[in-house]
Amino acid sequence: MKGLGTVISVELRLAVRDPMSAFFALAFPAVILWMKMRNGGTLPGGLPLIEAYVPMLSVFVIGLATLVVLPATLAQYRERRVLKRLSATPASPAMVFGAQWVAHLLLAVLGSVVLAVLGLVAYGMSGPVDPAAVVLAWLLGALCLGSIGLLVGALAPGGRAATVVGLAVFFPMVFVSGAMSARETLPAQMRAIGEWTPMAPVVQAVRAGWEGQGLPPVAVAVMVAIFLVAGGAAVKAYRW
Amino acid sequence: MTVIELNGLTKSYRAHQALAGVTLSVGRGEIFGILGPNGAGKTTVVECASGLRRPDGGTLRVLGLDPRERRRELLQRVGVQLQEAALPDALKVGEALRMYASLYDRPADWRALMAEWGLDGKRRTRFGALSGGWKQRLFIALALVGDPEVVFLDELTTGLDPSARRTTWGLIRDMRDRGVTVVLVTHFMDEAEALCDRIAVIDRGRVAHEGTPGELVARSGAGGTLEDAYFALIERNAS
Repeated sequence: MKGLGTVISVELRLAVRDPMSAFFALAFPAVILWMKMRNGGTLPGGLPLIEAYVPMLSVFVIGLATLVVLPATLAQYRERRVLKRLSATPASPAMVFGAQWVAHLLLAVLGSVVLAVLGLVAYGMSGPVDPAAVVLAWLLGALCLGSIGLLVGALAPGGRAATVVGLAVFFPMVFVSGAMSARETLPAQMRAIGEWTPMAPVVQAVRAGWEGQGLPPVAVAVMVAIFLVAGGAAVKAYRW
Repeated sequence: MTVIELNGLTKSYRAHQALAGVTLSVGRGEIFGILGPNGAGKTTVVECASGLRRPDGGTLRVLGLDPRERRRELLQRVGVQLQEAALPDALKVGEALRMYASLYDRPADWRALMAEWGLDGKRRTRFGALSGGWKQRLFIALALVGDPEVVFLDELTTGLDPSARRTTWGLIRDMRDRGVTVVLVTHFMDEAEALCDRIAVIDRGRVAHEGTPGELVARSGAGGTLEDAYFALIERNAS
């Protein structure tokens, strides 16, 4: 695992330096938050909107960073023989994977921090009831969605294909899983479909922690299971 | 002392036999040239010896290690410059050297290397903004950043202008004088003649001829330069 820290820091810089990924992970979610908050108000049940949208959109950010940006980066590296060059060094595939995952996780951390600051400063957000549970749920979510992103990046033939697949996985999922519109406001049918997406347990767990309801065990188990299965498959499918 | 020993190496890609039994040995501190027409198997030899590809048959030892079994250990001690490899466009020269240095247990001083290869002024330039010659220099510097005992350079000076080629030749000789073994794949006969202590001419997956540049010229009977000798030898091999 020699060099892991250096590779992570370089990869994070590259992600932030890229105008597309910087916009999508850092600015875009903030714009959505602003749009959602224009009318203010509460959710059915009385929860202030901001206490739902910040955790929801932080999951949206995880999705963008790990399902869209990460696979595109990895597949582009393979296509352009960046990985081939790395294969001629002592770096192992597990190290390259780990560094990509952590760098994109940190990108998502940055995007989530932007959302939280915006919530606190502009919308009087009171913040999570159980911060430790939120952090744990968020990390599990990043592991779960990140392993799917790594799998897409391992299988996609090139950067463009990976972007298309990533967006095709990401967009329907954010709409039905409750990362963009609160689950409480979704039509029953849509919510039923959304339950089957890997993003649903992430949204559920992060929001549960935020509202101090403790982590739902089923959601946690599903996230761990997806991480193990998709992560294992990604490592198996990896090519330089 | 022998640092690379290939014996009857074979490798096929589907129906195409790239290597049909390559046997050669390279001594420590030599600059060893690999010449041959396109598709002769030169790159495959380099990729097998540096552990990037598994040969189908034959035996090989590099620094006493079998690249098939002790690849990672070998890659700590071997540097590779690959044809057609790339870096991310937004990566800066200094970042690339620092990052690659971090992957090795005992790296060279990447700042010194950057200065030695004249890359100091390009430290903050992005890879995507470098011209072909500067990219090539960076790749050579990256091949050396692990402080290797053996360096494989595949098409070393392709894309360099004449004066950069001269400079590069000088740096390669310095490398040899420090005891580094250099394996050089090239299409340039003048380069092979100027740099290489010994040369293998590979043709259709076999070593067709091996010797010092002088020996090859003498053997060809063509006289003149290595280039004349090369064509005479390749032609003889074809008939």
